[in-house]
Amino acid sequence: MSRPLARPLRCLLLAAAALLGSGPLAAADRPLVIVIHGGAGVIERAHMSPEREASFRAGLAAALDAGYAVLEHGGAALDAVGAAVRTMEDDPQFNAGRGAVLNHDGLCELDAAIMDGAAGRAGAVAGVHHVKNPIDLARLVMDKSPHVLLAGQGAEEFALSQGVVLVPESYFITPERLRELEEAKRAAAGREPTAPLPIRPYATKGMGTVGAVALDAQGHLAAATSTGGITNKLYGRVGDTPIIGAGTYADESCAVSGTGQGEYYIRQVVAYDICAMLEYQHRPLAKAVDVMMHDKLQRTGGEGGVIALDKDGNTAMDFNSAGMHRGVRDSRGRREIAMYRGSN
Amino acid sequence: MYAIAIHGGAGAVPRATLLPAREQRYRAGLEAALDGGYAVLERGGSSLDAVTEAVRILEDDPVFNAGRGAALTREGAAELDAAIMDGRNLRAGAVASVRHVKNPVELARRVMEKSRHVLLVGPGAEEFALEEGMALVPNHYFRTPERQVQLEHEQRGERVSDLVPPTRATEVPKGTVGAVACDRDGNLAAATSTGGMTNKRPGRVGDSPIIGAGTYAKNGVCAVSATGHGEYFIRAVAAHHVCAAVEYRGLTLEAAMRELLHDILKGLGGDGGLIAVDGGGQIVMDFSTEGMYRGARDSSGRNELAIY
Repeated sequence: MSRPLARPLRCLLLAAAALLGSGPLAAADRPLVIVIHGGAGVIERAHMSPEREASFRAGLAAALDAGYAVLEHGGAALDAVGAAVRTMEDDPQFNAGRGAVLNHDGLCELDAAIMDGAAGRAGAVAGVHHVKNPIDLARLVMDKSPHVLLAGQGAEEFALSQGVVLVPESYFITPERLRELEEAKRAAAGREPTAPLPIRPYATKGMGTVGAVALDAQGHLAAATSTGGITNKLYGRVGDTPIIGAGTYADESCAVSGTGQGEYYIRQVVAYDICAMLEYQHRPLAKAVDVMMHDKLQRTGGEGGVIALDKDGNTAMDFNSAGMHRGVRDSRGRREIAMYRGSN
Repeated sequence: MYAIAIHGGAGAVPRATLLPAREQRYRAGLEAALDGGYAVLERGGSSLDAVTEAVRILEDDPVFNAGRGAALTREGAAELDAAIMDGRNLRAGAVASVRHVKNPVELARRVMEKSRHVLLVGPGAEEFALEEGMALVPNHYFRTPERQVQLEHEQRGERVSDLVPPTRATEVPKGTVGAVACDRDGNLAAATSTGGMTNKRPGRVGDSPIIGAGTYAKNGVCAVSATGHGEYFIRAVAAHHVCAAVEYRGLTLEAAMRELLHDILKGLGGDGGLIAVDGGGQIVMDFSTEGMYRGARDSSGRNELAIY
């Protein structure tokens, strides 16, 4: 009964919306937009020295501008999100690439994913130890293999076959992350093995993960996410980042990248579910994101944030943790970088 | 009403190559899994236990592409993926690329119940299995002569079917086993297990262990297990798509599955099949391939096994 009605009804609603002036935008009115995040967690002023805060803001600005430069030069959203994420992977302050958090065995295991919203294509890698820029390898999986997700040694074999130079594990490991691991192990002693690993006070730590979503001049959307996961995670643990639909998703009308307690994001299929609410329930992007972050995730106990972007250039950056490193820049002159609740 | 449905893979099942004796083996294998899972429901057990039991039986049967008799990677090893999801609370567990775990679905269940994680891959997943006191088996436990022949065919450039270990099969590889169930309390669960594609690259992970793609369950909406060309099912977020279409658009389960398989996946170029059950215990099984090994049984008397 509902199926034959669904499409005509949707068309009618869209037509009505267009008449009211809130329909899909013409190319000329559509902005270029990039939104990034550098992780959510207990990010509070009380735990942040001015130097440290300035350093994070500079790191976010560099990634935002690297991605925006691609869009400004007529580049694809897919390339823009790749450039922004790569910049943060190379910056040891963020939990991705160099400076990623360490697993229980003191090693880096990196996950990343990228998705091309226009073509519905995707690539992802999980549990890689020696790939300097996992986001670039995820892109190669998408572009040069018949697969979507490669894990562990097999992913590194593929990297070598594509001419990617591997780096030693020591490249990724920073003294700060080693200290965090020791603290995390002490804190975990006696904890139930099923209890979620906490999102820890930010002094040095966060629930890193970096990501970007972008809208280009063609009206195409893309999303990318990269992470070292959670400090003290079990060897082999894969979070939501490389799971298409959970931490990363893009289609023709919506793009999402998440950061948070990955297990909850996987179970709620967070990124795709936001797009489904937008497309099927015709909720505004901000409302769909609000329902996910403050109702669905909060109810199950999942903590973190997301960034999202729709085909008209509407953006959402929302979180149910204390703070989230984030930034947005568009062709209408908007350029913001923030970390805490509110707009700063 | 309580109900269980199972699948043993979708793909080309050319009648010509499926000899009566072999067809009988598949039917016997499906029946054993259906019996095992249904018996759990009948004695008041949970849907979670029922799908675990059905998938475990299919994993142990070497004719199906999961556990013993799984399809082999291009290096000739078995690499197994599995997932399970509990519709009551959206808890889930999954493993990918394990080489020494006899019943991957049981390890997936341990990940859900005994760890704080959802997905563990490769040697890390096997470390966890050992910590949980599970005995590992050598990789050759999984390898059957039929699968080795199949790998050789594939590597010679002759396309084969993971559904029908050849003599002379043709067509695109697919396989995978799965189960969905609704118990007396209306709780839903789904489980899926696979060896993936024949001649796959080591490390390749398909849709089976990806929550939302090959496996999903949410009470009051639906439980889904998929089989098919995994890359497309991941990109379409297939299993969750079906649940979202039911929940947000009010589509019937049947319409949601038809749209996914015959519009969306066909549009992307992928095919396969899905089994699903809704909160009322109604089972739907659909596929876009020539056949899908499948079975369904419920407390109102439905009882069927089918291939084509």
